Amino acid sequence: MIDSPIAREFLETGRCQSCPIIDMHAHYGPFSGIYMPNHTPEQMLATLDRCGVELIVSSGHTALEDVVRGNAEMLSITERYPGRWYAYLVYNPHYPAEGQAQLEEYDRHPTLVGLKFHPSMHAYPLTGEAYRPALEFAAARRLIVLTHTWGDSPYNGPEHLAQVAERYPEVTFLAGHSCHGEFQKCMEVARKYPNVYLELTAAYAVRGLIEQMVETVGAHKIVFGCDLPWFDPHYAIGCVVMAHISDGARRAILRENALRILEGRRRV
Amino acid sequence: MAGISYFDCNVSIGRPKSGVYRPCPTAGELLAEMDWVGVDQALVHHALMRGQSPVVGNQVLVEEIAGEERLVGSWAILPPQTRELPQGEDFFTAMAQAGVRALWAFPMEHRYLLNRLTFGPFLDQVAERRIPLFIPRNAGGTDPVATWQLVSQLLAEYPKLTLVLAAHGPWGEDRYFRPLLERYPRFYLDISRYELDGGLGELVSLYGAERLLYGSNFPANAMGGPRMMLARAEISEEARRAIAGDNLRRLLQEVQL
Repeated sequence: MIDSPIAREFLETGRCQSCPIIDMHAHYGPFSGIYMPNHTPEQMLATLDRCGVELIVSSGHTALEDVVRGNAEMLSITERYPGRWYAYLVYNPHYPAEGQAQLEEYDRHPTLVGLKFHPSMHAYPLTGEAYRPALEFAAARRLIVLTHTWGDSPYNGPEHLAQVAERYPEVTFLAGHSCHGEFQKCMEVARKYPNVYLELTAAYAVRGLIEQMVETVGAHKIVFGCDLPWFDPHYAIGCVVMAHISDGARRAILRENALRILEGRRRV
Repeated sequence: MAGISYFDCNVSIGRPKSGVYRPCPTAGELLAEMDWVGVDQALVHHALMRGQSPVVGNQVLVEEIAGEERLVGSWAILPPQTRELPQGEDFFTAMAQAGVRALWAFPMEHRYLLNRLTFGPFLDQVAERRIPLFIPRNAGGTDPVATWQLVSQLLAEYPKLTLVLAAHGPWGEDRYFRPLLERYPRFYLDISRYELDGGLGELVSLYGAERLLYGSNFPANAMGGPRMMLARAEISEEARRAIAGDNLRRLLQEVQL
């Protein structure tokens, strides 16, 4: 049986005192194509407690559909839980005026730590001109940008990621799902660009991938996420803590890297 | 939760030509990973059963797991009309002789219609003998509607069939499968990739723990995820024990060959 103290503690208690988790890829609220039993703020916080998650960063499901209503909704929630719950401002390139107005209000919302792009859902390439105002804004403030990435995508594949990483070195890009399906190319991008991190949502379930990421890119370039309220964090945690990697790597992925990325970007 | 014995209902070995990031070629490697995460037994199929042909893969599976008491074999089926596998009683006799206790259907890869027109009395026999039939989530292709329509139609035609939907996929598909759990008492879910936060607890409270089987979909997926999820799920110890292994043990004990 696995000999990792971190894994043993999670198995026995559901949490790890010495390694509280930082979840960099979460959402909030119900969503069209899936029934989610635990999507209210109270339910999500109960899940965080149950799984030993210290803090999460979310983009609201409503915001992915309607940036005006949804970003406001997300902020109204995170501002009730300062220090525990942070937000990404969703930027939809099809609504540049609304996006610009929300960027101008960014500084008034201390729970924001960055921007969220979902090029696949918005059917617009990450490299497209309409993302430029948001990327320039993020670069000027050295923000985090969590972008959905997926393999073989016309909108957000590894090549798109590489282009924006090259163009905006001041931005810290989290590659949501690590370009699922084109993992090797995504690892190459993360290895080449210091400002690109691999984010594990859904990718964690692929057997052998976490080991490969640690070996070829380094544990210091991987962050934890699980799309809460979609997925039970314990599933994702199990994939990380039972991977064939060191406890140092587990700690880096589950906590330390995210804390380092958030340093200076958390305002509450 | 001491003493809970995990029995994985969905693992395979072999060298699939594509689609698996890190395959598990041998029974030895499988057993090592089971030891690593704390899984006692596994119901195993072979990549060749699916990727090449049950004609080859069924026999290879038996050879690969021979002598491994922790591994129980399963075979894939083909339409009786092409007579590629032993027919009628001979098929079940061969299963018994090989120690095989469950079956898989891969209608997409093997290009057949999984229905009464094709399988007629053969699946009546499978149902009568209480042999679990596993169907992967991609049985109808990548479109979930096609797979769930297939499952729904199959159960309508064979309501007493012990049917297990395997490798569910990360998108919670409760809106598809809950009506089937309500209607058909011998319809079961493999929980591999059923990652929905709060999902397990809700299914247990609505339908009972006996309808769920612990599985990992290894080696396409890591074993650690479902192992941790079930270990920490907010369900009773009795329910956890049932899902972890007792349900599958009961199903396999019911098999009459």
